[in-house]
Amino acid sequence: MTMLARIAQELFWLGRDLSRAELTARMLDGVFHADLQGRADAISVTLSWEALLLVIGAQPAESSAARASADDGERALEKATTRATRDDVVRLLTVDAASPASIVSCVARGRERARTVRDVISTEMWEAVNTFHLELVRRDLSAAMRTGPYSIYSEVKERCALFWGLTDRTMMRDEARSFLVAGGRIESADMVLRMLRASLPLSTGASVREMLDDGEALALLHAVGGLQAYRRAVRAAPRTASVTRFLLYDRSYPGSVAASVDGLHYALSTADTSPRSAPPVLRLGRMVADLDFRRRATVDDAALGSTLVQVQEELAAVDRDVANRYFAGAAPRAVRSPA
Amino acid sequence: MNFAIRYLTEYSYDGEVTDNLNALRVRPAASARQRVDEFSVRIDPEARLHRHTDYFGTEVVEFAVTEPHTQLAIDVRARVATTAAPVPPQAEWSALTLADYLEPAGEFLLAQGAPTDPRLDALHATTRARTPLATVLLVAELIPDTFEYRAGVTYVGSTVGDLLDAGAGVCQDFVHLGLALLRRRGIAARYVSGYLFVSHGDEVESVEVATHAWLEALLPSGTPGEEPVWVGVDPTNRGLSGEFHVKIGHGRDYGDVPPTKGVYRGGAEAALEATVGMTRTSGLDPAATARF
Amino acid sequence: MADVSTPTPAPGYAPAPGCLDEVFGAGGAPWEHAGTRARSLAHLGAEGLAAAGRRRDAIFMDQGITFEVSGGDGDRAVRDRPFPLDLVPRIIPAAEWETIERGVAQRIRALNAFVDDVYHGHEIVRAGIVPWSLIVSRSHFARPVHGVRPPGGVYCHVGGCDLVRDADGAWLVLEDNVRTPSGISYVLENRVAMARLVPELFSGYRVRPVEHYPQLLLTALRSVAPAGDGDPTVVVWTPGPSNSAYFEHAYLARQMGVELVEASDLVVREQVCYMRTTAGLARVHSVYRRLDDDFIDPLEFRPDTLLGVPGLLRAYRTGTVAIANAIGTGVADDKAIHHYVPEMIRFYLGEEPVLRNVRTHLLADPEQRAECLERLAEIVVKPTGESGGKGVFIGPAADAAALARQRALVERDPGRWIAQDLVRLSTVPTTQADGRLAARHVDLRPFAVMVDADDVQIVPGGLTRVALVEGSLIVNSSRGGGSKDTWVLEDADQPRDVAPEYVPPTLPEVRYGEPWHDQSQQQQ
Repeated sequence: MTMLARIAQELFWLGRDLSRAELTARMLDGVFHADLQGRADAISVTLSWEALLLVIGAQPAESSAARASADDGERALEKATTRATRDDVVRLLTVDAASPASIVSCVARGRERARTVRDVISTEMWEAVNTFHLELVRRDLSAAMRTGPYSIYSEVKERCALFWGLTDRTMMRDEARSFLVAGGRIESADMVLRMLRASLPLSTGASVREMLDDGEALALLHAVGGLQAYRRAVRAAPRTASVTRFLLYDRSYPGSVAASVDGLHYALSTADTSPRSAPPVLRLGRMVADLDFRRRATVDDAALGSTLVQVQEELAAVDRDVANRYFAGAAPRAVRSPA
Repeated sequence: MNFAIRYLTEYSYDGEVTDNLNALRVRPAASARQRVDEFSVRIDPEARLHRHTDYFGTEVVEFAVTEPHTQLAIDVRARVATTAAPVPPQAEWSALTLADYLEPAGEFLLAQGAPTDPRLDALHATTRARTPLATVLLVAELIPDTFEYRAGVTYVGSTVGDLLDAGAGVCQDFVHLGLALLRRRGIAARYVSGYLFVSHGDEVESVEVATHAWLEALLPSGTPGEEPVWVGVDPTNRGLSGEFHVKIGHGRDYGDVPPTKGVYRGGAEAALEATVGMTRTSGLDPAATARF
Repeated sequence: MADVSTPTPAPGYAPAPGCLDEVFGAGGAPWEHAGTRARSLAHLGAEGLAAAGRRRDAIFMDQGITFEVSGGDGDRAVRDRPFPLDLVPRIIPAAEWETIERGVAQRIRALNAFVDDVYHGHEIVRAGIVPWSLIVSRSHFARPVHGVRPPGGVYCHVGGCDLVRDADGAWLVLEDNVRTPSGISYVLENRVAMARLVPELFSGYRVRPVEHYPQLLLTALRSVAPAGDGDPTVVVWTPGPSNSAYFEHAYLARQMGVELVEASDLVVREQVCYMRTTAGLARVHSVYRRLDDDFIDPLEFRPDTLLGVPGLLRAYRTGTVAIANAIGTGVADDKAIHHYVPEMIRFYLGEEPVLRNVRTHLLADPEQRAECLERLAEIVVKPTGESGGKGVFIGPAADAAALARQRALVERDPGRWIAQDLVRLSTVPTTQADGRLAARHVDLRPFAVMVDADDVQIVPGGLTRVALVEGSLIVNSSRGGGSKDTWVLEDADQPRDVAPEYVPPTLPEVRYGEPWHDQSQQQQ
């Protein structure tokens, strides 16, 4: 290791926070549309506000970390979960600075982390995160919400893309960058898995083959940003099972779980001084092979639900491995409540 | 009368061309008055031939030369036997408005492509005759009387307006004008593409620069209950078509029965040489075809 | 404004006299289905609508959802403008939609049967219903495909018609379109844009979705592809980026995930159609073409053009490639043929027409011509073979010189023209530049996809076109018209599939960057 564990951790989480902000924006936009189109109580894909709260972790269980202080944010969370309505959830997950799950909170945290690692990342990257945050603070977000949150989501997507573009173009290809990218990829894989698990009633034991509504599967793709890619890659009617397989296995789509795991594997292999004996790298190597094997094998679609659970458990194990191997030496660090 | 026909078209390109696709309408039609004893098409470079019959009943031969080439030869040979046309029926003008005339007349009554032109109006004024047949014969005289037969002043895409402007044209232009004049009189008329044998005294062989065109007018039979008949008229040769006319097919105008039509890829220009040779034969004498 | 509980959402809003207004009934009170809408509009206010309008223009320009507007008759296209989407959607209650859906599907089935008949048995001619001389005089009668029957006997894969409502609220058919009806991309984009721009207008309504259209189209295109090994390849064929509907061509290709090709990308070898790819020639099974018959194959159509794919018709005739819509469908949506559609429905389907025609007169007929020329100032005269509102003459809007000119045109070539009774199109409140509402005339273009000869599916809604000028009846977007998102409401009485109760899976906790190993974390 040639860099500080603390810095590596900050970079890793900078990547995660920005990835989370982007995927949250995409999902909110997708569910928002599905809801307006009368899809919220669809049969095969539950693109509901409840499901979204679950994905983004804005639920009472999640808030245990903050149990000590039952602040307004938490009350709002609980209220929203009991009877999630569009306006409540959209506000909570988009502009509510008191909610750690909101987009503005993700960006604020990311900006704090970027400030910490300012000397490691390029100036342009720092400026991109900083102006992103400032823009969200300066803007009258309530007014933007009143006219529809679309403009906020599209800005979040653009700003995140700008950051990653600058990373590609201006940052040294060193291990610092590897940790940043690793964070982005693990978050992306995790969010997609969460979305799939929360919106498909797979885990309830129902067979996916019975769920055939095209439009709902389309809305799901829309919500994770893979609609056009799916149409080009698969060219078959978007059945729930084929959409799930696409988002899980198709490495040619950058947003798929497999592509993210690939990227994560590559990033950590590069960053680690002895990748051949590094537990997270070894575990990821197995995951890459396993996902590829599952893609090729004509697996029973009904097994997809348990596959999702297994992959997510493995990913959580990778997350622990990463923390143990690289960040264990880092000083204890708190979650900052953004102003 | 028996004919051996050889229709040879040769294109040479000043550079390589590819994907040369062509549609040929060259096969003599089979009808009560015309029997086709032999028909063959050879393409050089070699190409597979595809045949179908089009809407107007003409056989179309299509082929494609895909590989690069600089020469294309289309060699068509046919042996045909014709008989003389029956005497055309006489009928009154009033018969032209009856349903059993209008039905087969169909699209051959439509004034498509005819310009609104005062010169055409003036010609039209002179085509009124006692019977439809008389008008048909009048038109066959009027056109060569008014216009000079001269190659090179018009081209394959020329319109009736071009003929009026130039005061001269070829058989295709004469036929287009004839169609416009007849249709304006309510006489259905169609464009006929074919081969024409021109006898020069004792000679039994003639060579035309290209294929020939004439027209057919639909005339009521004159007897109630009998179907109207198509009567061939050749405005280039001032009269009814006969045994020397070998019909390929018909259409509303030239565009429906072009003998050859093709497109190719490549920047090269094409030079065309086409000859039609016709020989009178005495029945099925295979030796006669070898004379070209 | 009798009822105080009903807000006056549009102060100064005056429905056009003699026309149906689809939101505000007699006395200014909204119709039952429009009450919620009226309140939402009032809540949004002129200011809110005007602001949303500015955002709309910015978004459409950014996304390149633009349209060419021509300056006047025959002028060159001026420039790209944001597609004029009006922010007040049109609402169609479930029961009314049911009629439209049945009526349009019925027409498409009849028109499809007619196309098949025209190119094969001519039964409707022999039955004395449609004269053969009329059919052969139509410029879109396609002789090269006479006797060619496409797979499944489906010709009109994609169809539509233009519907209008008269003062009594009855839906009438103004025109049919079974060539290449355009506008579906605007239907889909309008819905997306509306949800982004004015989501509050959706509250209180259950709107039926439209976004499945590309999938429906793809299914239809794949189902007619000739059988082969593996997946059929479908392409969208566009005349190119200079075409005014290029946006839609690209949109549909992208949405279906298929290639957007131009003529030069396609080649026919030995009666099989291919596209040129970086890996050599790749077989094409199904072509959704967005150009006229004339430009398909230079060997068969227009001798004066080299556009198209030489040999494609031969491949089509052989059955190695499907073309949608089939070649020759234009004969069925000709404006003179339109007159006979109710008869076609009776003849081919043995059914009574669900939707009535706008009264159409054939000017080739001496009696009808005389009658129409008599009252030229009251009727609409249209050229038969044109589309997009080109050459349309509106009697009541014409001065003496225009009347005389039109009379001369009709008399010179009566077969080129038809006349229709003028329909006082219904109105819908429409935003003006300042955000205030005004009554503007609308029509409706529903879109149908024929999956097979018995299965016609209509996208719920369609393109509502709106005249943006007061009193104007011309709604064509190429002539300065706009569009509205069209909402077909879910049937409230229809029992909905009940969603199973949501059983949330147990997901791992979301982490926020706290180190795993540290249990005694400090709060700051």
